[in-house]
Amino acid sequence: MTIQECYASFGGDFDDVRRRIPKDELVQRFALKFLDDKSYENLQAGLENDDMDQAFRAAHSLKGVSQNLSFHKLGVSASALTEELRHWESAPVDKARCGELFQQVAADYEAVTAAIKQL
Amino acid sequence: MRTKILIVDDVELNREILAEMLKDEYEIVMAENGKQALAILAQQRNEIALMLLDLFMPEMDGFEVLEVVSRQPWGKHLAIMIISSDNTSQTESRCFELGVSDFIHRPFDARLVKRRVKNVISLYQYQNQLEQKVEEQTRTLTKQYQLLQTQAKQLRQSRANVIDILGTVVEYRNLESGEHVKRVKGYTRILAEELMRRYPEYGLTQEKIDVIVAASALHDIGKIAVPDSILLKPGRLTKEEFECMKTHTTKGGDILMNIKNVWDEEYGKASYEICRHHHERYDGKGYPDGLKGEEIPVSAQIVSVADVYDALVNVRVYKSAFSKEKAFQMIISGECGVFSPKLLECFKHVRKEFEKLADESADASDVADTAS
Repeated sequence: MTIQECYASFGGDFDDVRRRIPKDELVQRFALKFLDDKSYENLQAGLENDDMDQAFRAAHSLKGVSQNLSFHKLGVSASALTEELRHWESAPVDKARCGELFQQVAADYEAVTAAIKQL
Repeated sequence: MRTKILIVDDVELNREILAEMLKDEYEIVMAENGKQALAILAQQRNEIALMLLDLFMPEMDGFEVLEVVSRQPWGKHLAIMIISSDNTSQTESRCFELGVSDFIHRPFDARLVKRRVKNVISLYQYQNQLEQKVEEQTRTLTKQYQLLQTQAKQLRQSRANVIDILGTVVEYRNLESGEHVKRVKGYTRILAEELMRRYPEYGLTQEKIDVIVAASALHDIGKIAVPDSILLKPGRLTKEEFECMKTHTTKGGDILMNIKNVWDEEYGKASYEICRHHHERYDGKGYPDGLKGEEIPVSAQIVSVADVYDALVNVRVYKSAFSKEKAFQMIISGECGVFSPKLLECFKHVRKEFEKLADESADASDVADTAS
C-alpha cells in the first residue's frame, strides 16, 4: 500500500498534508510515528477512570496530531470529543454523549492505525 | 551566537514535525513540558535564538513558562513563538503582553513555519545587536565621564594645594599660628552650614561651603606685606600704623588677583572676597571699602565672625585671651564689630559647636581658664 492509498483508506487528506510537508517520505515517517503516539490510549484510560483532566488533554493532543497529519476524519471526531470535554471543570460532562463521540473516535483511530500498519 | 531553537510541546509527534521543518537551518533542542524548558534555558539561553512554546502541557504549562521568562533580565532577548491550535484572541493578547512575538498555528505548514521563524529570529538578532551597540557606547561614555571626574578631582586637589601653599606662607612668616588658620576654617564651616540650613536665601550649597572654607585659610595672606614692626607690635598701634595694618585686606586681594589664573574662578572669587572684605562691618563702618549690609559678600561675613571669635578666645600680641562666655557676649552685643542679624542668629545656635572646637584646639584650652 502506498502512502496515498493509505490516506485514502481512512478518510485522510493526502493533498493537504503534502502541501504542508513537502516530501512523501517525511509524511510516511510521521504517519508511522503516529503508531507510537500515546494520545489515544490516554484518552481511553481517562474516560474509563473518569479522569476528565486526562481525557480532555489526550483528546486535545489527538486532535492536534490528526490535524498536523491531515487525518481528516479522525481530526473531526477527536475535535468533537475535545469540545464536549473542554469545560469539564466548570460544567458536568455528558457521559453518554462522550461515550458516543468516543465510539466514533475509536472507529476512526482503528481505521488509521490498521492502514498505517500495512505501509 | 544564538543558533538553536528550543521546541516545547508535550506531544512528541508535534515536536518531531517542527524539528524536521527547521533542522536544516537551526540546531534543535526539545522539551516536553515547561519545567524541562526552564531547565534548558537555564543552561543554554545564550545559544537559543527562539523558543517555540505550546501552551497546553502537563507539569508546567506555557503560561507559567512565559511568566517566569518575562521576569528574567534576559527574557527580553529571547524570541518566543506560541504553538497554537485553538487560541482565543484573549489568550493571544495575554501572550503578547508576556513577550510573545508570533504564533504558529496547527496544522503546521513547513513553508509558513520556516518563514515566520526566520522573520522573528532576524528581528531579534537586529534588536539584540542594536542593544549591544547602545551598551557598548554607554560603556565608552561612562568611561570618559569617569576620566573627566578623575581630572576634575585632580584639579580640585591642585587648587587645594595652592591654597595650602599660600596658607603655609602666612604660617612660616609667623604671622598667625597654623592652628589659627585651621580653627578659622572650622568655625567658618560650622557657621556656613548653619546659615545654609536657616537662610536658604543665601543660596549656599555644600559645594559652595567647601570653597568658602578652603578660601578662608587665606583671609590674612595680605599680612605678608605688612612690616613686622607693626604686625608684631605688642602695644596699641598709632593711627598711621593702624592704617598700614588695614592694608593687609587690599594687599591680600592684590596678591590673589595676581595669581587668579592658577585656580578656577570660583575659588579665586571666594578667596578674593574673603581677603578684601573680612574687615567690613554690617553698618558700613568697616574697611577697606565701607561696604554695608548684604553688599558684603556672605563668604567674607562668615569668615569675619570666625576670625573675630578665634582672636577673642586666644592670646594675641596686643591682647590676652577672653573666656568663651565673654567672647560670645562680646560678639552678640556688637562690641567687636557689627554683623548681620541673621549671621548672629546662626552664631547663637552653633555656640556649643564653636566652644567644642575651641576646647579641642591646644592653644585655646591653655588659656580658657586663665582668661577674664
